[in-house]
Amino acid sequence: MIVEEENLKKIENYPYLSVEGLVTQFFTSGGIVKALDGVSFNIKKGEVMGLVGESGCGKSVTATSVMDLIPDPPGRIVKGKIIIDGFNIIGDINKLAKIKVKSEKNVIIKRNRKLIKRHNFILSKIRGRTISMIFQEPSLSLNPVMSVGKQIMEPILLHNRIEISNSIIRRETITKEQIRTFYTEALKIKDAMERRKYVNQWTNMFGVAESQDSILELFNSQASSDQIERDLENFLFGEIEGTNLRVIEKVRDYYKTQEELFKLHTTLLMAEENADSELIEKISMEIRNLQRKSNKELFGFKITYKFLRKRIDIPYVKEARRRALELLKLVNIAGAERVIDSYPHELSGGMQQRVMIAMALSSKPKILIADEPTTALDVTTQAQILELIKELKIVTGTSILFITHDLGVVAEMCDKIGIMYAGNLVEEAPVNDIFYNPKHPYTIGLLKSIPRSDVKRGDILESIPGSVPNLITPPSGCRFHPRCSFKMDICETNKPKLVELDDNKNQKVACFLFSREVESSE
Amino acid sequence: MELRYFVLRRVLLLIPTLAGLLILVFALFMSLPHSLLELSLFPGIPHNAALEEAQGAQILGLPYTLNGVYHPGLPLPLQFGKYVVRLFQGNWGYMTVPIYSGSVIGAITTFFPNTAQLVIIASILAIVISIPLGTFIGARPNTISDHVGRIFTFIGYAIPAFVLGTFLLAIFSKGGIIPIFPSANAFSASAIPNPPPSWMLSSGDLFITSPTHIVLVDSLLHGDLGLAWNTLMHTILPVLTLTYGLLAGIMRFIRAGMVDSARQEYVKTARSEGVPERIVIREHIRRNALIPTITVMGLIIASLLGGVVVVEEVFSYPGMGLLTVQAAVQTQVYGVLGTTLVFGLILVLANLIVDVIYALIDPRIRY
Amino acid sequence: MESPNLEKTMIQRKKHPKLQDYRFTLKLLGKNRLAAAGGVIVLVYFAIAVLDYVDPQYLQPYLNYILSGGSQAFYVPLGPGLSNGWAYIFGETEYNMPIFPYILAALKVDLTYTVFIVGSGALIGVVLGTISGYYGGYLDEVVMRITDIFFSVPTLVLALAIIFALQASSLLDIVYALIIIWWPTYARISRGQALSLKSMKYVEASTASGSSGLRNVFVHLMPNVLSPVMVQLSLDLGSVVGVFATLVFIGFMHLPNPYIPELGNIIVIGESEFTAVGAWWAVLFPGIFLFIFVIAVNLLGDGLRDVLDPKLRR
Repeated sequence: MIVEEENLKKIENYPYLSVEGLVTQFFTSGGIVKALDGVSFNIKKGEVMGLVGESGCGKSVTATSVMDLIPDPPGRIVKGKIIIDGFNIIGDINKLAKIKVKSEKNVIIKRNRKLIKRHNFILSKIRGRTISMIFQEPSLSLNPVMSVGKQIMEPILLHNRIEISNSIIRRETITKEQIRTFYTEALKIKDAMERRKYVNQWTNMFGVAESQDSILELFNSQASSDQIERDLENFLFGEIEGTNLRVIEKVRDYYKTQEELFKLHTTLLMAEENADSELIEKISMEIRNLQRKSNKELFGFKITYKFLRKRIDIPYVKEARRRALELLKLVNIAGAERVIDSYPHELSGGMQQRVMIAMALSSKPKILIADEPTTALDVTTQAQILELIKELKIVTGTSILFITHDLGVVAEMCDKIGIMYAGNLVEEAPVNDIFYNPKHPYTIGLLKSIPRSDVKRGDILESIPGSVPNLITPPSGCRFHPRCSFKMDICETNKPKLVELDDNKNQKVACFLFSREVESSE
Repeated sequence: MELRYFVLRRVLLLIPTLAGLLILVFALFMSLPHSLLELSLFPGIPHNAALEEAQGAQILGLPYTLNGVYHPGLPLPLQFGKYVVRLFQGNWGYMTVPIYSGSVIGAITTFFPNTAQLVIIASILAIVISIPLGTFIGARPNTISDHVGRIFTFIGYAIPAFVLGTFLLAIFSKGGIIPIFPSANAFSASAIPNPPPSWMLSSGDLFITSPTHIVLVDSLLHGDLGLAWNTLMHTILPVLTLTYGLLAGIMRFIRAGMVDSARQEYVKTARSEGVPERIVIREHIRRNALIPTITVMGLIIASLLGGVVVVEEVFSYPGMGLLTVQAAVQTQVYGVLGTTLVFGLILVLANLIVDVIYALIDPRIRY
Repeated sequence: MESPNLEKTMIQRKKHPKLQDYRFTLKLLGKNRLAAAGGVIVLVYFAIAVLDYVDPQYLQPYLNYILSGGSQAFYVPLGPGLSNGWAYIFGETEYNMPIFPYILAALKVDLTYTVFIVGSGALIGVVLGTISGYYGGYLDEVVMRITDIFFSVPTLVLALAIIFALQASSLLDIVYALIIIWWPTYARISRGQALSLKSMKYVEASTASGSSGLRNVFVHLMPNVLSPVMVQLSLDLGSVVGVFATLVFIGFMHLPNPYIPELGNIIVIGESEFTAVGAWWAVLFPGIFLFIFVIAVNLLGDGLRDVLDPKLRR
């Protein structure tokens, strides 16, 4: 019992996303922009973390870096780890590209195309499935020439093939036995909601989710139980479409191999990180074997699939479309049947953002990054979208990294807040501590600059003097020192480390006022 | 709005465009010196036809010249109306040039298929090559392959068709360094069986094949591989010359479009959903990159049609282009006006098709 | 209360914004190596043309020889080589005319006419386009319908027809025909630009402060319409030279002198030598001169487009 409880606690505190010493730079003709300078934080299961700061402080760069979506050229992640669900997605960053800085304006980057290809393969299995993202401008973030439905279906079809294959196979091979068990089980449940839930689960598993309502109707009808059973059998056997199961099995095999390859590659990457040469050898061997095996066994299929993809995919597309509709309903889009076939420009900004959220949630990700999801929307829509994200968090249990410059939004949405300044995380604490007990001079300044109801009329709203520094030539030491009213000598030369406060383990501050710990720079 | 309404509206918009085209040709006609008009009437007009017309006009009490198109005494709008009516009646005047003598309509029906053959083959080739190649280099800007591709594009863009054509002709045709291709004509007269089969209508030394009138297609349909091969060899050099320019024009825009749309937010979204890079390029970047390419397609087609004139002239290939040039050289007023009108019609129709494709690819355009 | 110092610096900074802007553009253009190379080549071409005007002496004897029909006797033309002096470096063409001075003389003719065509076309187009874009209504409708008509016939065919209608008997007639054909392009570009600028705050502000319509057009709109026009203009230098040479090459005009120095004409003459005695140089060198100019102009135009694009201008 005790062990289990401990395990549970461990799982609760298990960080889904953990970022360590992330350094991202942009190599431009004007010089190197040091956009992120060692950012570290982690987000636990179901936790919502807010990132706040002035524009240009590196919030969005953090978000894009976490997805490894920094456009290259000009940008690259230079150092650090991004551990998603226990796996460092960027692996050994120095192997992907060798960066040779001759001078600020003359940087030579040598990319290892083979490794980048592998890196992209691994990422494509992680993005959209374990971690996904909502962007700032919904109107720009949806492909204008693709229908909304197609765009939502794309990640579903990419990430859920095996599951969909299984449910199709189950549907096509359904037996009387199975129907009878389902019927008796369902009859046992008297509560309408519970029964609905059970039917929903079962129909999803058997790939007949579309007939969920008709089945429920059958149960509610006044006919005798024998009659209902017979009707149910007739009905469900009628759902069988006579799909060629051998093809479905082949598709499943194909995606299973892909999945195995992905797992092997992640193991390989971890082995490489630990420099475990024996394991590397073993895994590389396995990868080669698997590839050889799949080339041999699936050769014919791959060619057929290339040419007949549209035909083979029909049952999958059907299922994906049903799921897309469900997602659209989940994000409260009225008239989902109509919206699914429309194009992004036919929708309002709020609707577009809902579609984006539906896309992001399509494969039930563990982490969701929301990069100022409401900035481009008007106030009432903003409130609706925020409400929606909050609801979804409860329903799906996703961890969220919420990026905004609006402290009010943060107070409402988040469990903890990170304050960013010029590419650094300067303070990180639970919401209450940030608002009622801010420590870092920048946080204090930021909070003072919000209009409040308890300020007397006629008082001047305070602002932080100076402006955000140019990140090509950032200030030495603590990047905030030129604007800080508590500046000490050490601030100009050394960079403070983000450390926990003595009296509050939850609150971390990077300021020499609280700790003399210096961030080591190599 | 649905696509078919868009197409309907676009077709209706053809009417003012065509009216504009007719006005242009009529204006050209009116701006010709009077002496030239009179002068140009005589050569090549079968006298009975012209006389009949003149008599008809006389009966109606209208001012007329020999072929009745030109009515100097009438007010301009009325003259224009008469001109249009005559065009619709199929009376486009007469012309005599080295490759043809007879009615302008007859010349067009004889030579248009040859030009169509060139243009269609060149377009297909150019599209088949430029889209994958443009996608390839556009997806990896500023790499070695991009530089090579861009140089290739620039050369095609910058080399005038007549310079390239002259060189190809001099190198590959009879008497050149590598004499593997025949020069002049759409096919050799010797390749035609004697007597000509029933599907070939001959008038003098000109042949019209049925059913499509395009020799390459018809000879293949009737299984005459010898003639098909001969025709193909005759088309290769002109087609190559045309294709290179066309290809370069299309590729340049595809590359620019690829680079531009790769920067867009929706590409980031697709990547954030785990879409593999190959599919991001094909489905997200390229589809959007094709849109700007299609908007300039009208201009590219216009330059292709201009290229046809030059290429046919360089290779003495009997088509609409050569007809136009010869009509101009021989001061055949009706020949020049007729071919100008036909080139205009082709371009207007091509633009219609381009617009429909545009609407098919970009759903935003239908609104 | 603003500090006087700040005000002073602001005035200083605003002193030559336009000039600074041009300087900046040039600097960016210089950074784009291909565009810079294109610019240099275009400059060299224009330098040659100007030199012809400034000091015609070095060409004149050759030109006289050429225009009078060369040797008018059939000798096999000399191939390219250094042994016969600078004029014969690219060999001879028909009637033993030296190719190099012939090309140099042609460059002067081609470039002068091209600049004239593009310049006049742009002037007419920009004025008409900007005015019609600014005023809209009937005027706009008419101007746009006219441009539509011009775009409904392929350029080269239209040029041919217009030259035919004008009964061209000199190169100048081709110039007129090409001006007629080229202005609609500029009219469309500047109209589009004027339409989007019209609703800008600064134009509205100047209207509100009593500026008249025409003043708005010439003072506020036209300078800002110019940057896309500049790009098109630079690209068109290439197309016009090409079309001009092509038209002369097709050669249905009754030119007063068959040996008129023009690149297309030199190629026509060379072509007959090429097919007759295999004098490849007689086509290759004039072709290359034409080709390099078109490439250079395109490189420059593309570079200009990138540099003037506000999205990329950073």
